[in-house]
Amino acid sequence: MSAYLISMGTYVGFFMILALALNLQWGIAGMVNFGIAGFYAMGAYVSGLLVAKLGVPVGLAIPAACVAGWVLGGAVALLSVRLREDFLAIVTLGVGEVIRLIVLNEDQITEGPRGLRIDGRPFGDLIGPELYPLFYLLLVAVCVLITYLVCERIRRAPMGRTLRAIREDDVVAEVLGKNVLMHRVLTFAIGGFFMGLAGALYAHYVQNISPEVFMPVVAMFIWMSVIVGGAGNNRGILIGAGTVMIFLEGTRFIGDFTDVLDAEKMSAMRIILIGFLLIVTLRLRPRGLLPEPKFNVKKT
Amino acid sequence: MIFNALVNAALIAPPAMAFSLLFGILKFPNFAIGGYITVGAFAAYTFNVPLGLPLPLAAAAAMLVTALVVWLMHVLVFQPMEEHSAITLLVVSIALTLIIENVIRLFFSADVRGFEIPLERPWKLLGARITPEQVQIIIWSLVIGVALHCLLAYTWIGRAMRAVADNPMLAAIRGVNATRITAFTTAICGALFGLTGVFAGLDLVIEPLVGWNLTIPIFAAAILGGIGSPYGAIVGALLVGLAEEATILFLPSTYKIGVGFVIIAVLLLLRPQGLFGTAEIRK
Repeated sequence: MSAYLISMGTYVGFFMILALALNLQWGIAGMVNFGIAGFYAMGAYVSGLLVAKLGVPVGLAIPAACVAGWVLGGAVALLSVRLREDFLAIVTLGVGEVIRLIVLNEDQITEGPRGLRIDGRPFGDLIGPELYPLFYLLLVAVCVLITYLVCERIRRAPMGRTLRAIREDDVVAEVLGKNVLMHRVLTFAIGGFFMGLAGALYAHYVQNISPEVFMPVVAMFIWMSVIVGGAGNNRGILIGAGTVMIFLEGTRFIGDFTDVLDAEKMSAMRIILIGFLLIVTLRLRPRGLLPEPKFNVKKT
Repeated sequence: MIFNALVNAALIAPPAMAFSLLFGILKFPNFAIGGYITVGAFAAYTFNVPLGLPLPLAAAAAMLVTALVVWLMHVLVFQPMEEHSAITLLVVSIALTLIIENVIRLFFSADVRGFEIPLERPWKLLGARITPEQVQIIIWSLVIGVALHCLLAYTWIGRAMRAVADNPMLAAIRGVNATRITAFTTAICGALFGLTGVFAGLDLVIEPLVGWNLTIPIFAAAILGGIGSPYGAIVGALLVGLAEEATILFLPSTYKIGVGFVIIAVLLLLRPQGLFGTAEIRK
């Protein structure tokens, strides 16, 4: 039971990092990203392949995954210059799917659907196997904290104000002399950086990654986390990611107590529940559980 | 190969037109179309196999059911959320697809099924294998295209639909009941999605993911043709059909889904208004 809770806590951590990164990109800067699964896969495979195929130490591979996410984020942001936001949604979804298809098809490098085995783990030699899950949970928690502090710092800083201005009206921001393009690319790249980090942490946690984990539905769960939690509010995001994950994973317990539904029907029920969670939240609390605080000049 | 492309195009042209119409009125890309198509396929299956109706009747019943479902979803889910941004609605529509898909999974399980139709030997024509169903799909798709054109161009309700899509406020001033027209449009589009479900059941298989797999080609076709332009959607469907078949010559067939995305991305970057759309004036 406690092993289960530890593993669930670790997964909540991955979700929180992804959701905080999306909140930075969309909630604060207003840029749509439906390719989260692609960024997550990028992080996981860059770090995984470096360790498994090239023997790079884990301590270098994880930062490399972050940098890969950063670069991918910057490149995707350049697309946003010409696109309306709903079209950008479709294009980013496409970026995510294409990354997944490449991973699936180029199996002489990525092992494709067979799954890539990664033996290296951070501090794997120092900590015994019985304490390791707990240590990993702590490691992920520290990463969540760092992500939260960075995102919160950006939100409160002058940069955060500029990003909100761009979100509300990019032309006005441009007229005020803000470099809209630079801010967009930078923010998207920072988001990509943290998504890459989440991917790398995931890869070294499960130690066996395969493309079917990185379906577009992952992006959906993260989007739901952000919308349910309250776009623009980092604390709300943490709550949102926790709530969605509890609905997604915690409902597995119900299955242990009833025999009415088999495993397949249970998993269908879970997804239905999550969908309802989103729709009901939006109907009752249109701006999410913890709405973005109104900014007034004195309090900042 | 050309023939396969034609079948592909015939399959995605009607829903692409419907998607275009819906986008014109609701102003957000509705990913729930995947769920709607699945509803159509399973409704037709239910009428056809367990209830034993002949396929044309089952198809008509499925169109009715899907039209009802699409209208209900519009009234229950999307209408009360009108003030939300297009992106929030987009996420809601994906959630809706997930809900529909899994409700179906709950009742039907994920097995692959097909309609109860007599198996016929495919015809051979110039070395291509052609099934009678594929010919039917092409013919019906043409009929639908022409009918939709007549509806939009020659009837007052079609004119009202276009007016509401163009400028709801102006239409309202001229005495058009926008709510009723929107309801009518959703029902028409629902019927088209239902029919697509039947076609997909004929040409592919009936399973909960059938609609989702068609969503991206449909989007690609609608965007390619210029969103909000139903005729452009037909041309878009033809081009997407051709492009998908052509990639099989060069790349493993698993990359087929990627083609739709690449078409969308390249086109949006070069010509954001689509091939036949008119450029919007940005403020």
